[in-house]
Amino acid sequence: MSAGKTGKTGAAWIVSGIVGVVFLAPLLWTLLGSFREEAAIFQLDWRSLSNADTWTLSNYADAWRRAALGPALLVSAAQVAIIVAGGLFVNSLAAFAFARLRFRGSGALFAGVVILIILPVEVIAVPMFFTARDLGMTGGFGPALAGLTLPFMAKAFNVYFLRQHFLTVPVQLEEAAVIDGAGVWRQFWNVALPSIKPALATVVVIDVLTHWGDFLWPLLIATREETRTVQIGLANLFTQPPVQWGDILACAVMATLPVLLLFRWLQRYIVTTQVQAGIK
Amino acid sequence: MTAWQKDFGRKAPLLLAPALGLLALFVVWPLIRAAWWSVSDADLLAPDRAHFTGWTNYSDLLGDPRFRRAFFNTALFAVLIVPLQTVGALFLALWVNRPEPAWRWLRVVFFLPVVVSLPVLAVVWSLLYQPEQAGQTGLVNAALGLFGIEGQAWLRDPQLALPALVAMSIWQGVGLQMMVFLAGLQSVPRDQLEAAQLDGASAWQRLVHVVLPSLRNTTVFVVTVTTILSFRLFVQPYLMTRGGPDDHTLSLVEYIYEMTFLNLELGRACAAALLFLIWVGFLTLLQRLFFREIKA
Repeated sequence: MSAGKTGKTGAAWIVSGIVGVVFLAPLLWTLLGSFREEAAIFQLDWRSLSNADTWTLSNYADAWRRAALGPALLVSAAQVAIIVAGGLFVNSLAAFAFARLRFRGSGALFAGVVILIILPVEVIAVPMFFTARDLGMTGGFGPALAGLTLPFMAKAFNVYFLRQHFLTVPVQLEEAAVIDGAGVWRQFWNVALPSIKPALATVVVIDVLTHWGDFLWPLLIATREETRTVQIGLANLFTQPPVQWGDILACAVMATLPVLLLFRWLQRYIVTTQVQAGIK
Repeated sequence: MTAWQKDFGRKAPLLLAPALGLLALFVVWPLIRAAWWSVSDADLLAPDRAHFTGWTNYSDLLGDPRFRRAFFNTALFAVLIVPLQTVGALFLALWVNRPEPAWRWLRVVFFLPVVVSLPVLAVVWSLLYQPEQAGQTGLVNAALGLFGIEGQAWLRDPQLALPALVAMSIWQGVGLQMMVFLAGLQSVPRDQLEAAQLDGASAWQRLVHVVLPSLRNTTVFVVTVTTILSFRLFVQPYLMTRGGPDDHTLSLVEYIYEMTFLNLELGRACAAALLFLIWVGFLTLLQRLFFREIKA
Protein backbone atom coordinates (compact mmCIF):
# COMPACT_ATOMS: atom_id res chain seq x y z
CA MET A 1 0.00 0.00 0.00
CA SER A 2 2.67 2.45 1.07
CA ALA A 3 4.95 1.53 -1.83
CA GLY A 4 2.00 1.86 -4.20
CA LYS A 5 1.25 5.30 -2.87
CA THR A 6 4.86 6.42 -3.24
CA GLY A 7 4.78 5.11 -6.80
CA LYS A 8 1.61 7.04 -7.48
CA THR A 9 3.06 10.27 -6.08
CA GLY A 10 6.20 9.73 -8.14
CA ALA A 11 4.14 9.28 -11.29
CA ALA A 12 2.16 12.41 -10.47
CA TRP A 13 5.44 14.30 -10.17
CA ILE A 14 6.77 13.05 -13.49
CA VAL A 15 3.52 13.88 -15.31
CA SER A 16 3.45 17.29 -13.62
CA GLY A 17 7.04 17.97 -14.64
CA ILE A 18 6.37 17.17 -18.28
CA VAL A 19 3.09 19.11 -18.36
CA GLY A 20 4.77 22.04 -16.62
CA VAL A 21 7.62 22.22 -19.14
CA VAL A 22 5.27 21.92 -22.14
CA PHE A 23 3.00 24.58 -20.64
CA LEU A 24 5.91 26.93 -20.13
CA ALA A 25 7.52 26.20 -23.51
CA PRO A 26 6.27 29.44 -25.15
CA LEU A 27 7.79 31.52 -22.36
CA LEU A 28 11.02 29.51 -22.22
CA TRP A 29 11.35 29.84 -25.99
CA THR A 30 10.86 33.61 -25.71
CA LEU A 31 13.63 33.87 -23.13
CA LEU A 32 15.95 31.63 -25.15
CA GLY A 33 15.27 33.41 -28.44
CA SER A 34 15.88 36.82 -26.91
CA PHE A 35 19.56 35.87 -26.46
CA ARG A 36 20.11 34.52 -29.97
CA GLU A 37 21.19 35.89 -33.31
CA GLU A 38 18.35 36.58 -35.75
CA ALA A 39 19.07 33.62 -38.01
CA ALA A 40 19.38 31.19 -35.09
CA ILE A 41 16.16 31.98 -33.24
CA PHE A 42 14.23 29.14 -34.83
CA GLN A 43 17.14 26.67 -34.67
CA LEU A 44 16.66 24.50 -31.64
CA ASP A 45 19.08 21.67 -32.56
CA TRP A 46 22.14 20.98 -30.45
CA ARG A 47 24.65 21.99 -33.12
CA SER A 48 23.25 25.46 -33.33
CA LEU A 49 22.70 25.82 -29.59
CA SER A 50 26.30 24.82 -28.80
CA ASN A 51 27.70 27.31 -31.28
CA ALA A 52 28.78 30.37 -29.29
CA ASP A 53 28.37 32.62 -32.36
CA THR A 54 24.59 32.16 -32.34
CA TRP A 55 24.26 33.80 -28.91
CA THR A 56 24.10 37.53 -28.43
CA LEU A 57 23.08 40.33 -26.07
CA SER A 58 22.60 42.89 -28.80
CA ASN A 59 18.84 42.18 -29.09
CA TYR A 60 18.39 43.81 -25.70
CA ALA A 61 20.35 46.91 -26.63
CA ASP A 62 18.54 47.17 -29.98
CA ALA A 63 15.07 46.67 -28.48
CA TRP A 64 15.81 49.16 -25.72
CA ARG A 65 16.75 51.78 -28.29
CA ARG A 66 14.21 51.01 -31.03
CA ALA A 67 11.17 50.71 -28.75
CA ALA A 68 12.38 53.63 -26.58
CA LEU A 69 11.94 51.32 -23.61
CA GLY A 70 13.50 53.67 -21.07
CA PRO A 71 10.75 56.29 -21.35
CA ALA A 72 8.12 53.61 -22.05
CA LEU A 73 8.89 51.74 -18.83
CA LEU A 74 8.72 55.01 -16.95
CA VAL A 75 5.31 55.84 -18.44
CA SER A 76 3.95 52.36 -17.72
CA ALA A 77 5.29 52.30 -14.16
CA ALA A 78 3.93 55.76 -13.42
CA GLN A 79 0.59 54.85 -15.00
CA VAL A 80 0.15 51.71 -12.91
CA ALA A 81 1.40 53.34 -9.70
CA ILE A 82 -0.97 56.30 -10.01
CA ILE A 83 -4.00 54.17 -10.89
CA VAL A 84 -3.32 51.75 -8.03
CA ALA A 85 -2.57 54.35 -5.36
CA GLY A 86 -5.27 56.81 -6.39
CA GLY A 87 -7.78 54.02 -6.99
CA LEU A 88 -7.13 52.41 -3.63
CA PHE A 89 -7.82 55.73 -1.96
CA VAL A 90 -11.00 56.87 -3.73
CA ASN A 91 -12.56 53.41 -3.98
CA SER A 92 -11.99 52.40 -0.36
CA LEU A 93 -13.25 55.79 0.80
CA ALA A 94 -16.50 55.31 -1.12
CA ALA A 95 -16.72 51.65 -0.06
CA PHE A 96 -16.35 52.65 3.58
CA ALA A 97 -19.12 55.23 3.25
CA PHE A 98 -21.44 52.65 1.65
CA ALA A 99 -20.60 50.00 4.26
CA ARG A 100 -20.69 52.06 7.44
CA LEU A 101 -22.42 55.40 7.11
CA ARG A 102 -26.17 55.90 7.13
CA PHE A 103 -27.45 58.58 4.77
CA ARG A 104 -30.38 59.16 2.45
CA GLY A 105 -30.09 57.65 -0.99
CA SER A 106 -27.33 55.26 0.06
CA GLY A 107 -29.09 52.19 -1.33
CA ALA A 108 -29.99 53.80 -4.66
CA LEU A 109 -26.49 55.21 -5.18
CA PHE A 110 -24.90 51.88 -4.40
CA ALA A 111 -27.25 50.09 -6.81
CA GLY A 112 -26.19 52.60 -9.46
CA VAL A 113 -22.54 51.76 -8.85
CA VAL A 114 -23.19 48.00 -8.99
CA ILE A 115 -24.91 48.31 -12.38
CA LEU A 116 -21.74 49.93 -13.78
CA ILE A 117 -19.72 46.77 -12.96
CA ILE A 118 -20.78 44.94 -16.10
CA LEU A 119 -20.01 47.89 -18.37
CA PRO A 120 -17.00 46.87 -20.48
CA VAL A 121 -14.53 49.71 -21.00
CA GLU A 122 -14.55 49.01 -24.75
CA VAL A 123 -18.16 50.22 -24.98
CA ILE A 124 -17.29 53.74 -23.84
CA ALA A 125 -13.65 53.94 -24.94
CA VAL A 126 -14.31 56.31 -27.84
CA PRO A 127 -16.58 58.86 -26.07
CA MET A 128 -14.24 58.55 -23.07
CA PHE A 129 -11.44 59.58 -25.40
CA PHE A 130 -13.35 62.73 -26.36
CA THR A 131 -14.02 63.54 -22.70
CA ALA A 132 -10.33 63.14 -21.88
CA ARG A 133 -9.39 65.24 -24.90
CA ASP A 134 -11.84 68.00 -23.97
CA LEU A 135 -10.22 68.11 -20.52
CA GLY A 136 -6.81 68.56 -22.13
CA MET A 137 -5.54 65.09 -21.27
CA THR A 138 -3.68 64.43 -24.49
CA GLY A 139 -0.33 65.59 -25.70
CA GLY A 140 2.86 65.73 -23.64
CA PHE A 141 4.00 63.61 -20.72
CA GLY A 142 1.95 65.23 -17.94
CA PRO A 143 -1.41 65.49 -19.73
CA ALA A 144 -1.05 62.02 -21.27
CA LEU A 145 -0.30 60.51 -17.87
CA ALA A 146 -3.44 62.15 -16.51
CA GLY A 147 -5.35 60.75 -19.49
CA LEU A 148 -3.91 57.29 -18.91
CA THR A 149 -4.77 57.21 -15.21
CA LEU A 150 -7.68 59.44 -14.13
CA PRO A 151 -10.42 57.61 -16.08
CA PHE A 152 -9.49 54.29 -14.43
CA MET A 153 -9.03 55.26 -10.79
CA ALA A 154 -12.63 54.94 -9.68
CA LYS A 155 -13.84 51.41 -10.39
CA ALA A 156 -17.33 50.21 -9.70
CA PHE A 157 -16.15 46.66 -9.05
CA ASN A 158 -13.52 47.77 -6.53
CA VAL A 159 -16.04 49.90 -4.63
CA TYR A 160 -18.39 46.90 -4.48
CA PHE A 161 -15.63 44.43 -3.56
CA LEU A 162 -14.14 46.59 -0.79
CA ARG A 163 -17.60 47.38 0.62
CA GLN A 164 -18.30 43.66 0.98
CA HIS A 165 -15.04 43.29 2.90
CA PHE A 166 -15.74 46.25 5.17
CA LEU A 167 -19.05 44.57 6.01
CA THR A 168 -17.30 41.40 7.22
CA VAL A 169 -15.31 43.39 9.81
CA PRO A 170 -17.11 43.50 13.19
CA VAL A 171 -18.44 47.00 13.73
CA GLN A 172 -17.52 46.88 17.45
CA LEU A 173 -13.91 47.66 16.58
CA GLU A 174 -14.99 50.99 15.14
CA GLU A 175 -17.43 51.59 17.97
CA ALA A 176 -14.54 51.56 20.39
CA ALA A 177 -12.73 54.14 18.27
CA VAL A 178 -15.79 56.41 18.28
CA ILE A 179 -15.99 56.24 22.07
CA ASP A 180 -12.33 57.27 22.09
CA GLY A 181 -13.40 60.35 20.18
CA ALA A 182 -12.15 59.40 16.71
CA GLY A 183 -13.65 61.36 13.83
CA VAL A 184 -14.86 59.78 10.61
CA TRP A 185 -11.46 60.22 8.98
CA ARG A 186 -9.44 58.55 11.74
CA GLN A 187 -12.00 55.82 11.93
CA PHE A 188 -11.60 55.13 8.22
CA TRP A 189 -7.84 55.49 8.00
CA ASN A 190 -6.66 54.02 11.33
CA VAL A 191 -9.32 51.44 12.14
CA ALA A 192 -11.33 50.28 9.12
CA LEU A 193 -8.70 50.34 6.37
CA PRO A 194 -6.04 48.24 8.17
CA SER A 195 -8.64 45.57 8.94
CA ILE A 196 -9.20 44.76 5.24
CA LYS A 197 -5.55 44.58 4.17
CA PRO A 198 -5.90 41.24 2.33
CA ALA A 199 -8.77 42.61 0.23
CA LEU A 200 -6.71 45.71 -0.56
CA ALA A 201 -3.84 43.46 -1.66
CA THR A 202 -6.19 41.55 -3.97
CA VAL A 203 -7.33 44.82 -5.55
CA VAL A 204 -3.71 45.90 -6.02
CA VAL A 205 -2.76 42.62 -7.73
CA ILE A 206 -5.74 42.72 -10.11
CA ASP A 207 -5.20 46.39 -10.96
CA VAL A 208 -1.47 46.00 -11.56
CA LEU A 209 -1.99 43.03 -13.89
CA THR A 210 -4.86 44.72 -15.73
CA HIS A 211 -3.27 48.09 -16.31
CA TRP A 212 0.26 46.92 -17.04
CA GLY A 213 -1.34 45.05 -19.95
CA ASP A 214 -3.62 47.93 -21.03
CA PHE A 215 -3.67 48.20 -24.79
CA LEU A 216 -6.76 49.76 -26.38
CA TRP A 217 -6.78 52.88 -24.20
CA PRO A 218 -3.06 53.78 -24.51
CA LEU A 219 -3.44 53.14 -28.24
CA LEU A 220 -6.06 55.90 -28.33
CA ILE A 221 -4.70 58.43 -25.89
CA ALA A 222 -0.91 58.16 -25.64
CA THR A 223 0.02 58.57 -29.27
CA ARG A 224 3.17 60.66 -29.00
CA GLU A 225 6.45 58.83 -28.87
CA GLU A 226 7.40 60.11 -25.41
CA THR A 227 4.06 59.01 -23.93
CA ARG A 228 4.01 55.46 -25.28
CA THR A 229 3.55 52.62 -22.81
CA VAL A 230 5.63 49.45 -22.90
CA GLN A 231 2.89 47.46 -24.64
CA ILE A 232 2.53 50.02 -27.42
CA GLY A 233 6.32 50.10 -27.85
CA LEU A 234 6.35 46.33 -28.25
CA ALA A 235 3.41 46.39 -30.66
CA ASN A 236 5.24 48.96 -32.79
CA LEU A 237 8.35 46.77 -32.96
CA PHE A 238 6.08 43.98 -34.10
CA THR A 239 4.12 45.90 -36.74
CA GLN A 240 6.62 48.39 -38.14
CA PRO A 241 9.39 47.22 -40.46
CA PRO A 242 12.11 46.15 -40.26
CA VAL A 243 10.68 43.33 -38.15
CA GLN A 244 13.46 41.77 -36.06
CA TRP A 245 12.32 38.70 -34.10
CA GLY A 246 15.25 38.95 -31.68
CA ASP A 247 14.41 42.53 -30.74
CA ILE A 248 10.74 41.66 -30.30
CA LEU A 249 11.55 38.77 -27.97
CA ALA A 250 14.02 40.85 -25.94
CA CYS A 251 11.40 43.59 -25.68
CA ALA A 252 8.81 41.03 -24.55
CA VAL A 253 11.17 39.87 -21.78
CA MET A 254 11.90 43.42 -20.64
CA ALA A 255 8.18 44.33 -20.73
CA THR A 256 7.47 41.36 -18.47
CA LEU A 257 10.28 41.55 -15.91
CA PRO A 258 8.95 44.49 -13.84
CA VAL A 259 5.52 42.98 -13.32
CA LEU A 260 7.08 39.56 -12.64
CA LEU A 261 9.32 41.01 -9.91
CA LEU A 262 6.41 42.93 -8.44
CA PHE A 263 4.31 39.78 -8.54
CA ARG A 264 6.91 37.81 -6.60
CA TRP A 265 6.70 40.47 -3.94
CA LEU A 266 2.88 40.60 -3.97
CA GLN A 267 2.59 36.82 -4.03
CA ARG A 268 3.04 36.51 -0.28
CA TYR A 269 -0.11 38.58 0.19
CA ILE A 270 -2.06 36.34 -2.16
CA VAL A 271 -0.81 33.27 -0.29
CA THR A 272 -1.78 34.87 3.03
CA THR A 273 -5.24 35.59 1.65
CA GLN A 274 -5.54 31.95 0.66
CA VAL A 275 -4.37 30.71 4.04
CA GLN A 276 -6.89 32.95 5.75
CA ALA A 277 -9.60 31.69 3.42
CA GLY A 278 -8.55 28.18 4.42
CA ILE A 279 -8.90 28.85 8.12
CA LYS A 280 -12.48 30.11 7.83
CA MET B 1 -28.15 51.23 13.24
CA THR B 2 -26.13 53.19 15.71
CA ALA B 3 -26.08 56.89 16.40
CA TRP B 4 -22.54 57.49 15.19
CA GLN B 5 -23.25 55.94 11.80
CA LYS B 6 -26.05 58.43 11.29
CA ASP B 7 -23.99 61.22 12.76
CA PHE B 8 -21.05 60.53 10.44
CA GLY B 9 -23.53 60.07 7.61
CA ARG B 10 -23.52 63.81 7.13
CA LYS B 11 -19.92 63.44 5.99
CA ALA B 12 -20.86 60.77 3.41
CA PRO B 13 -20.96 63.15 0.41
CA LEU B 14 -17.37 64.09 1.14
CA LEU B 15 -16.24 60.46 1.16
CA LEU B 16 -18.23 59.53 -1.91
CA ALA B 17 -17.42 62.57 -4.01
CA PRO B 18 -14.02 61.52 -5.42
CA ALA B 19 -15.08 58.06 -6.62
CA LEU B 20 -18.58 58.98 -7.76
CA GLY B 21 -17.33 62.17 -9.39
CA LEU B 22 -14.76 60.25 -11.42
CA LEU B 23 -17.30 57.56 -12.34
CA ALA B 24 -19.78 60.21 -13.45
CA LEU B 25 -17.20 62.04 -15.53
CA PHE B 26 -15.40 59.09 -17.14
CA VAL B 27 -18.06 56.38 -17.23
CA VAL B 28 -21.61 57.74 -17.05
CA TRP B 29 -21.04 60.85 -19.18
CA PRO B 30 -19.27 58.95 -22.00
CA LEU B 31 -22.07 56.38 -21.87
CA ILE B 32 -24.68 59.13 -22.33
CA ARG B 33 -22.67 60.57 -25.20
CA ALA B 34 -22.36 57.13 -26.79
CA ALA B 35 -26.13 56.71 -26.52
CA TRP B 36 -26.72 60.09 -28.20
CA TRP B 37 -24.18 59.50 -30.96
CA SER B 38 -25.62 56.06 -31.62
CA VAL B 39 -28.86 57.69 -32.86
CA SER B 40 -27.06 60.38 -34.83
CA ASP B 41 -24.86 60.77 -37.88
CA ALA B 42 -21.83 61.70 -35.73
CA ASP B 43 -18.51 61.80 -37.55
CA LEU B 44 -15.25 61.11 -35.74
CA LEU B 45 -13.69 64.37 -36.94
CA ALA B 46 -16.63 66.57 -35.92
CA PRO B 47 -18.68 64.75 -33.27
CA ASP B 48 -20.35 67.93 -32.02
CA ARG B 49 -22.05 68.56 -35.34
CA ALA B 50 -24.20 65.45 -35.13
CA HIS B 51 -27.83 65.30 -36.26
CA PHE B 52 -30.50 62.99 -34.95
CA THR B 53 -31.10 60.16 -37.39
CA GLY B 54 -33.25 57.79 -35.36
CA TRP B 55 -32.58 54.07 -35.51
CA THR B 56 -30.79 54.09 -38.87
CA ASN B 57 -27.41 53.18 -37.34
CA TYR B 58 -28.96 50.20 -35.58
CA SER B 59 -30.87 48.97 -38.60
CA ASP B 60 -27.79 49.49 -40.79
CA LEU B 61 -25.73 47.44 -38.37
CA LEU B 62 -28.18 44.57 -38.23
CA GLY B 63 -28.14 44.50 -42.02
CA ASP B 64 -24.33 44.72 -42.25
CA PRO B 65 -22.87 41.27 -42.99
CA ARG B 66 -19.54 42.34 -41.46
CA PHE B 67 -21.20 43.20 -38.16
CA ARG B 68 -23.03 39.88 -38.14
CA ARG B 69 -19.75 38.17 -38.96
CA ALA B 70 -18.06 39.97 -36.02
CA PHE B 71 -20.86 38.93 -33.70
CA PHE B 72 -20.77 35.34 -34.92
CA ASN B 73 -16.97 35.13 -34.54
CA THR B 74 -17.03 36.57 -31.03
CA ALA B 75 -19.88 34.30 -29.98
CA LEU B 76 -18.06 31.28 -31.41
CA PHE B 77 -14.93 32.34 -29.55
CA ALA B 78 -16.92 32.52 -26.30
CA VAL B 79 -18.73 29.23 -26.92
CA LEU B 80 -15.37 27.49 -27.39
CA ILE B 81 -13.51 29.26 -24.58
CA VAL B 82 -16.02 29.17 -21.73
CA PRO B 83 -16.54 25.40 -21.35
CA LEU B 84 -12.96 24.43 -22.26
CA GLN B 85 -11.33 26.96 -19.98
CA THR B 86 -13.70 26.33 -17.07
CA VAL B 87 -13.28 22.56 -17.18
CA GLY B 88 -9.54 22.94 -17.76
CA ALA B 89 -9.18 25.31 -14.82
CA LEU B 90 -11.18 23.00 -12.56
CA PHE B 91 -9.05 20.04 -13.63
CA LEU B 92 -5.81 21.93 -12.97
CA ALA B 93 -7.09 23.15 -9.60
CA LEU B 94 -7.92 19.58 -8.54
CA TRP B 95 -4.55 18.42 -9.82
CA VAL B 96 -2.44 20.98 -7.92
CA ASN B 97 -4.62 21.03 -4.81
CA ARG B 98 -2.25 18.93 -2.71
CA PRO B 99 -0.90 19.76 0.74
CA GLU B 100 2.84 19.34 0.03
CA PRO B 101 4.44 22.80 -0.34
CA ALA B 102 6.38 21.62 -3.39
CA TRP B 103 3.14 21.70 -5.42
CA ARG B 104 3.16 25.45 -5.17
CA TRP B 105 5.66 25.72 -8.01
CA LEU B 106 3.22 24.02 -10.37
CA ARG B 107 0.54 26.57 -9.43
CA VAL B 108 3.01 29.33 -10.25
CA VAL B 109 3.75 27.66 -13.61
CA PHE B 110 0.09 27.64 -14.63
CA PHE B 111 -0.41 31.18 -13.34
CA LEU B 112 2.63 32.65 -15.09
CA PRO B 113 0.93 33.49 -18.44
CA VAL B 114 -1.62 35.55 -16.48
CA VAL B 115 1.19 37.68 -15.10
CA VAL B 116 2.73 38.21 -18.54
CA SER B 117 0.45 40.73 -20.21
CA LEU B 118 -1.82 39.88 -23.12
CA PRO B 119 -0.23 42.10 -25.79
CA VAL B 120 3.17 40.52 -25.06
CA LEU B 121 1.71 37.04 -25.40
CA ALA B 122 -0.20 37.92 -28.56
CA VAL B 123 3.09 38.99 -30.17
CA VAL B 124 4.98 35.92 -28.90
CA TRP B 125 2.27 33.54 -30.10
CA SER B 126 2.31 35.12 -33.54
CA LEU B 127 5.89 33.89 -33.78
CA LEU B 128 4.99 30.50 -32.29
CA TYR B 129 2.29 30.00 -34.92
CA GLN B 130 4.69 31.00 -37.71
CA PRO B 131 4.52 28.49 -40.60
CA GLU B 132 7.71 27.31 -42.23
CA GLN B 133 9.39 30.16 -44.06
CA ALA B 134 12.92 30.03 -45.47
CA GLY B 135 13.80 27.16 -43.15
CA GLN B 136 12.39 28.89 -40.08
CA THR B 137 9.52 27.12 -38.37
CA GLY B 138 7.51 28.37 -35.40
CA LEU B 139 7.55 26.31 -32.23
CA VAL B 140 4.01 24.97 -32.69
CA ASN B 141 4.71 23.46 -36.10
CA ALA B 142 8.16 22.30 -34.99
CA ALA B 143 6.60 20.46 -32.04
CA LEU B 144 3.92 18.90 -34.24
CA GLY B 145 6.66 17.88 -36.65
CA LEU B 146 8.22 15.74 -33.92
CA PHE B 147 5.05 13.64 -34.00
CA GLY B 148 4.99 13.57 -37.78
CA ILE B 149 2.07 15.99 -38.02
CA GLU B 150 2.23 18.38 -40.94
CA GLY B 151 2.63 22.06 -40.10
CA GLN B 152 -0.20 24.53 -40.73
CA ALA B 153 -0.36 28.24 -41.52
CA TRP B 154 -2.37 28.70 -38.34
CA LEU B 155 -3.15 32.40 -38.44
CA ARG B 156 -3.59 32.60 -42.22
CA ASP B 157 -5.95 29.67 -42.66
CA PRO B 158 -9.61 30.80 -42.45
CA GLN B 159 -10.58 27.51 -40.80
CA LEU B 160 -7.75 27.52 -38.25
CA ALA B 161 -7.25 31.16 -37.30
CA LEU B 162 -10.06 31.42 -34.75
CA PRO B 163 -9.30 28.04 -33.11
CA ALA B 164 -5.64 29.13 -32.93
CA LEU B 165 -6.67 32.29 -31.05
CA VAL B 166 -8.89 30.17 -28.80
CA ALA B 167 -6.02 27.80 -27.92
CA MET B 168 -3.68 30.69 -27.14
CA SER B 169 -6.32 32.46 -25.06
CA ILE B 170 -7.10 29.38 -22.99
CA TRP B 171 -3.40 28.86 -22.32
CA GLN B 172 -3.17 32.49 -21.25
CA GLY B 173 -6.21 32.64 -19.00
CA VAL B 174 -6.65 29.17 -17.50
CA GLY B 175 -4.28 29.89 -14.60
CA LEU B 176 -6.43 32.72 -13.25
CA GLN B 177 -9.56 30.57 -13.20
CA MET B 178 -7.50 27.78 -11.61
CA MET B 179 -6.62 30.13 -8.74
CA VAL B 180 -10.30 31.01 -8.28
CA PHE B 181 -11.21 27.31 -8.16
CA LEU B 182 -8.32 26.64 -5.74
CA ALA B 183 -9.72 29.28 -3.39
CA GLY B 184 -13.14 27.64 -3.78
CA LEU B 185 -11.73 24.19 -3.03
CA GLN B 186 -10.57 25.40 0.39
CA SER B 187 -14.22 25.72 1.41
CA VAL B 188 -15.16 22.12 0.55
CA PRO B 189 -16.33 20.61 3.84
CA ARG B 190 -13.53 18.30 4.97
CA ASP B 191 -15.69 16.17 7.28
CA GLN B 192 -18.03 15.32 4.38
CA LEU B 193 -15.05 14.27 2.26
CA GLU B 194 -13.75 12.03 5.04
CA ALA B 195 -17.19 10.58 5.69
CA ALA B 196 -17.58 9.80 1.98
CA GLN B 197 -14.17 8.16 1.94
CA LEU B 198 -15.04 6.01 4.97
CA ASP B 199 -18.23 4.96 3.20
CA GLY B 200 -16.05 3.70 0.37
CA ALA B 201 -16.92 6.37 -2.18
CA SER B 202 -14.50 6.45 -5.10
CA ALA B 203 -12.53 9.57 -5.97
CA TRP B 204 -14.97 10.21 -8.84
CA GLN B 205 -18.02 9.85 -6.57
CA ARG B 206 -16.47 12.20 -4.02
CA LEU B 207 -15.85 14.73 -6.79
CA VAL B 208 -19.39 14.57 -8.17
CA HIS B 209 -21.31 14.39 -4.90
CA VAL B 210 -19.21 16.44 -2.47
CA VAL B 211 -16.68 18.67 -4.25
CA LEU B 212 -18.67 19.93 -7.25
CA PRO B 213 -21.83 20.90 -5.30
CA SER B 214 -19.79 23.03 -2.92
CA LEU B 215 -18.05 24.72 -5.88
CA ARG B 216 -21.38 25.94 -7.29
CA ASN B 217 -20.88 29.63 -6.49
CA THR B 218 -17.29 29.54 -7.67
CA THR B 219 -18.37 27.99 -10.96
CA VAL B 220 -21.08 30.60 -11.51
CA PHE B 221 -18.49 33.29 -10.93
CA VAL B 222 -15.93 31.71 -13.27
CA VAL B 223 -18.45 31.09 -16.08
CA THR B 224 -19.89 34.62 -15.88
CA VAL B 225 -16.51 36.34 -15.81
CA THR B 226 -15.06 34.18 -18.59
CA THR B 227 -18.07 34.81 -20.82
CA ILE B 228 -17.88 38.58 -20.46
CA LEU B 229 -14.08 38.60 -20.85
CA SER B 230 -14.25 36.52 -24.02
CA PHE B 231 -16.83 38.86 -25.59
CA ARG B 232 -14.34 41.69 -25.07
CA LEU B 233 -11.88 39.97 -27.41
CA PHE B 234 -9.68 42.60 -29.07
CA VAL B 235 -5.93 42.36 -28.46
CA GLN B 236 -5.50 38.92 -30.06
CA PRO B 237 -7.18 39.71 -33.41
CA TYR B 238 -5.76 43.25 -33.47
CA LEU B 239 -2.17 42.08 -33.08
CA MET B 240 -2.20 38.52 -34.42
CA THR B 241 -4.55 38.55 -37.42
CA ARG B 242 -5.97 42.06 -37.90
CA GLY B 243 -9.33 40.39 -37.97
CA GLY B 244 -8.31 38.25 -40.91
CA PRO B 245 -8.00 36.10 -42.86
CA ASP B 246 -11.08 37.33 -44.70
CA ASP B 247 -12.76 38.59 -41.49
CA HIS B 248 -12.67 35.12 -39.92
CA THR B 249 -11.31 36.51 -36.63
CA LEU B 250 -13.01 39.91 -36.75
CA SER B 251 -14.35 40.50 -33.23
CA LEU B 252 -17.03 42.92 -32.02
CA VAL B 253 -14.55 45.28 -30.36
CA GLU B 254 -12.27 45.13 -33.39
CA TYR B 255 -15.29 46.05 -35.53
CA ILE B 256 -16.09 49.02 -33.26
CA TYR B 257 -12.44 50.12 -33.42
CA GLU B 258 -12.33 49.93 -37.21
CA MET B 259 -15.71 51.64 -37.61
CA THR B 260 -14.43 54.52 -35.46
CA PHE B 261 -10.89 55.03 -36.66
CA LEU B 262 -10.84 53.65 -40.19
CA ASN B 263 -14.38 54.49 -41.36
CA LEU B 264 -14.67 57.52 -39.03
CA GLU B 265 -18.35 56.59 -38.57
CA LEU B 266 -18.65 57.45 -34.90
CA GLY B 267 -22.44 57.14 -34.81
CA ARG B 268 -22.48 53.64 -36.18
CA ALA B 269 -19.55 52.61 -33.96
CA CYS B 270 -21.44 53.82 -30.87
CA ALA B 271 -24.55 51.94 -31.96
CA ALA B 272 -22.40 48.79 -32.25
CA ALA B 273 -20.92 49.48 -28.80
CA LEU B 274 -24.38 49.82 -27.27
CA LEU B 275 -25.62 46.63 -28.92
CA PHE B 276 -22.52 44.98 -27.45
CA LEU B 277 -23.40 46.36 -24.00
CA ILE B 278 -27.02 45.19 -24.26
CA TRP B 279 -25.80 41.76 -25.23
CA VAL B 280 -23.36 41.55 -22.29
CA GLY B 281 -26.12 42.70 -19.92
CA PHE B 282 -28.50 40.12 -21.35
CA LEU B 283 -25.92 37.34 -20.92
CA THR B 284 -25.21 38.34 -17.32
CA LEU B 285 -28.93 38.31 -16.53
CA LEU B 286 -29.42 35.00 -18.31
CA GLN B 287 -26.64 33.32 -16.38
CA ARG B 288 -27.92 34.62 -13.06
CA LEU B 289 -31.43 33.32 -13.79
CA PHE B 290 -30.13 30.00 -15.09
CA PHE B 291 -27.92 29.30 -12.10
CA ARG B 292 -30.59 30.39 -9.63
CA GLU B 293 -32.84 27.81 -11.28
CA ILE B 294 -30.31 25.05 -10.62
CA LYS B 295 -30.06 26.05 -7.00
CA ALA B 296 -33.82 25.85 -6.47
